[in-house]
Amino acid sequence: MAIYTRGGFALPETSLASKTGTWRLQRPIHRHSSAPCHTACPAGEDPQAYLAQVAEGRWREAWETLVAANPLPAITGRVCDHPCESGCNRGQYDEAIAIHNVERFLGDQAIREGWAYPVTPPSVNAHRVAVVGAGPAGLSAAYHLCRLGYQVTLLDMLPEAGGTLRTALPPYRLPREVLAQETQRLLAIGIEFLAHHALGRDVSLDELCADYGAVFLAPGRQQGREWSVDGRVPADLHTGLRLLQEWVAVGTIPKVKSAAIVGGGNSAVDLARVLRKTGAEVHVITHDALPKLGVPPEGAMKAIPREVKQAQEEGVMFHEHRGIQRLLLRGERVVGVEMVHMKKLPRPDGSIGIVPFEGTETVLHVEQIIPAIGQVVLAAGMERILEGSPFFAVDLWGHVANHPGVFAGGDARKGSRGTVSGAVGDGRRAALAIDGYLKGVATVEHHTEAIPLESLNLNYFEHEPRAEEPLLAVEQRSGDAEVAGGLVEPQVMAESLRCFSCGMCLACDNCWTLCPDQSVLKIKELASDGSHYVFDYDYCKGCGLCARECPSGYIVMEDELLFAGRY
Amino acid sequence: MSDLAGTLIPIVDLRRNQPRFRGLEAGHLACLGCGQALAARLVTEAAGPDVVVANATGCLEVFTTAWPQSAWRVPWLHSLFENAAAVASGMEAALKAQGKSAKVLAFGGDGGTFDIGFQALSGMLERGHNVLYVCFDNEAYMNTGVQRSSSTPHAAMTTTSPPGKARMGKRHLKKDIISIIAAHNIPYAATASVAYPSDIRKKVRRALEIDGPAFINIHSPCPLGWGHDGSLSIEVARLAVECGLFPVVELERGALTGTMPLRAPRPVTDYLKPQQRFAHLFQNDPRAREELEHLQALADYNIETYGLRGERPDPLDSAGADTVRRGGVRWA
Ligand SMILES: Cc1cc2nc3c(=O)[nH]c(=O)nc-3n(C[C@H](O)[C@H](O)[C@H](O)COP(=O)(O)OP(=O)(O)OC[C@H]3O[C@@H](n4cnc5c(N)ncnc54)[C@H](O)[C@@H]3O)c2cc1C
Ligand SMILES: Cc1ncc(C[n+]2csc(CCOP(=O)(O)OP(=O)(O)O)c2C)c(N)n1
Ligand code: SF4
Ligand code: SF4
Ligand code: SF4
Ligand SMILES: [Mg+2]
Repeated sequence: MAIYTRGGFALPETSLASKTGTWRLQRPIHRHSSAPCHTACPAGEDPQAYLAQVAEGRWREAWETLVAANPLPAITGRVCDHPCESGCNRGQYDEAIAIHNVERFLGDQAIREGWAYPVTPPSVNAHRVAVVGAGPAGLSAAYHLCRLGYQVTLLDMLPEAGGTLRTALPPYRLPREVLAQETQRLLAIGIEFLAHHALGRDVSLDELCADYGAVFLAPGRQQGREWSVDGRVPADLHTGLRLLQEWVAVGTIPKVKSAAIVGGGNSAVDLARVLRKTGAEVHVITHDALPKLGVPPEGAMKAIPREVKQAQEEGVMFHEHRGIQRLLLRGERVVGVEMVHMKKLPRPDGSIGIVPFEGTETVLHVEQIIPAIGQVVLAAGMERILEGSPFFAVDLWGHVANHPGVFAGGDARKGSRGTVSGAVGDGRRAALAIDGYLKGVATVEHHTEAIPLESLNLNYFEHEPRAEEPLLAVEQRSGDAEVAGGLVEPQVMAESLRCFSCGMCLACDNCWTLCPDQSVLKIKELASDGSHYVFDYDYCKGCGLCARECPSGYIVMEDELLFAGRY
Repeated sequence: MSDLAGTLIPIVDLRRNQPRFRGLEAGHLACLGCGQALAARLVTEAAGPDVVVANATGCLEVFTTAWPQSAWRVPWLHSLFENAAAVASGMEAALKAQGKSAKVLAFGGDGGTFDIGFQALSGMLERGHNVLYVCFDNEAYMNTGVQRSSSTPHAAMTTTSPPGKARMGKRHLKKDIISIIAAHNIPYAATASVAYPSDIRKKVRRALEIDGPAFINIHSPCPLGWGHDGSLSIEVARLAVECGLFPVVELERGALTGTMPLRAPRPVTDYLKPQQRFAHLFQNDPRAREELEHLQALADYNIETYGLRGERPDPLDSAGADTVRRGGVRWA
């Protein structure tokens, strides 16, 4: 309604009667997109979300957000190969956020402060689910099932929970107090843990299937593979994993002057470092490439790059793109190996083969040769499911085909990434699938594309170096002392403030500051979408400036016709 | 109407309770993405409620006051195209006579400032009135349909400087207004850009603290007259600064006292390309090439004259001055 005044002057802000929103052809909306750190995390964490909470000093909430996906942050924060950081958009700008260090800090803080997992104990008459194997996959499944309200029985043939983390990961990478605290705190949420319980010995799969609504199998890969060179096997052959397990359990390892380890995974590298500590000359022979810039992950050693780097610092010698063609034996005793250049190449039929190159043979004099070429599932008790194959064939959710109510995941499944975070993710998805199975509803995947760097407005960020954690000097790396020192609180805070907040509001005020039409309004409480801003569509003309200048890509323009009738 | 679902605050109350002063309200009739509307909003926000404004004829005057409405929330007066500075001088004298402390602002477009209002402005500066004069420089007479002004950059197309056989857009150069203003030996003269809101706020506050005449020229893209999408106004303004064609500087008593250094100067073509008014410079024509080189030389000249090339990254240089942080903390 127009107001006319004597003298013809206009009253203040009477322009508000002009609803310029009717001019609009496009409307800005807030849209959360997945950050690449989130889509890259095998465990399903959303680092963007907890980094934001850290940045606001809401430490405990940050931890709770983290453990909504992964109950083992103090562990993964130390041993994960952190694909989140490889995916981090900031990596294309200066350096990726040190997400694993933030994760580790939050995990340690929760232990220090005694924060309880945000889980209400299941009711006594809740459905019962059995989980076999208390490694990260089984622990994660048990935890998520508990969160979903199920009574969980977790069994393992070993005396304590932790799986391979406990039996093989060197304490200088994963201190045992951390492992013990995290697993004990986790079991304390109300998981029934049966130690010394082997499936196939103490209980059968049929019994479990009869007594429980569903079963999740996460036995890992406990069985060594057969290994020989041209049919010959040295007399004193030990697999790398067995030697490591012995060293972890007993603290000793047979002393040799020199050894060659065959393989490119974490076992090979860990064993190499352990042997190196005894003063041995250690060689690692792998047909893959050393991890470096430009090498695609498929072509690189499976071991975590930072571990390879530390091993090199410690004097381990790596021979990339090499294979062993012949054992040099004196009687049954190894005195050396004949190496040859090798490369993974596509065969004419399209499959990938490892091709040795004639004329590139060299001899390496070593006293011992140790295969660390991976393991398979120990089939005992699960033969009827495995049907002779080395791993479980399952879908994304862990359903074992033709065995309703039986689920599997972690290292034991075919195509597993062979990592802790992968195992945690498998456990989480299987818990969701079991929940769906018991409720009779299908579990659907919400596939999301990560927001690319191009959707952010980088003008609003400044280059800032990533915080680096201290590492023990090579001379000090003896015994169980943890090599990586972690970050301290101000560094963690600084990292959280470096985060671009990809796809989620940064609460930066930019849209509020830059709208020429005063059509972005700021609110104290959170709006329905989780930001602190709302659009006033009565006046917004749809110029798109706010969307263009939003640093985090949280504002997108949508055709106004989509909203016809809703205005 | 808004997306306030989940909250219980009526949007009208929300508008009233914004944690900043609103000098220029919504409902004005500026084009989509108008740089001038944004600049005027930022200036009045920083100046605060205790001001009175004299506004020259031009887009700002027209789109904020479609009679009988007004988008202003401060006392505001429009008289003529040519006399904003004279009106402001009178206001200032009257307020002084009444012993009132309100600050006087004068607003004009580049036409109203560089051209037709220039003598009134020069007089205001010479007489030493305690007025902050803000020019919203959109580099042409936009309100009357994009005619060239003495602020229009060299080689830009306007309806009165069309490219054709004889010329590639405007023949003459953009007037160096800031040097002319500074030559009045006034306490404070500065340039600013809508791409750097904190810098605008700082300069407005600075200018208002000073006793005596002050002048700020704010580079304000006009999507319609420059021929770029409204969503690009900030981007285009930022590029003007980053390429050196619009130097951001401060002069006190005629001496250069501050510049916004360029972190990494961009080629002028980055700035010119998104704008239709320079489209003829991207034709396959040797004259176009020459004009591009000419504009690059002008940018280089600015960088040299004002010493704009930063030696090392500076938090307040062209790449740092717009940095945002979680929680909205800005440096000004
Ligand atoms: C030396 C070494 C270093 C590694 N380093 C890293 C690293 O740095 N980062 C990383 O991400 N990953 C690393 N890994 C891989 C990682 O440890 C595994 O991917 C992960 O532990 C797999 O988890 P899981 O729960 O599937 O199996 P596991 O951790 O192997 O747990 C399986 C559990 O099932 C139990 N079990 C098996 N069969 C039965 C049965 N029949 N009845 C009852 N219980 C049974 C076992 O006792 C065991 O406790 C490393 C592996 C090794 C060997
Ligand atoms: C004496 C006089 N001459 C001409 C006009 C017509 N006129 C009104 S606004 C305008 C142009 C304004 O240009 P500028 O000052 O640059 O402001 P802009 O509209 O570009 O923001 C003109 C020529 C007028 N109002 N008064
Ligand atoms: S910048 Fe932040 S939100 Fe974006 S990918 Fe990296 S950690 Fe995730
Ligand atoms: S900047 Fe303002 S007017 Fe433009 S689309 Fe965004 S909210 Fe609407
Ligand atoms: S501009 Fe800033 S405050 Fe506005 S939506 Fe984007 S991130 Fe959030
Ligand atoms: Mg103009």
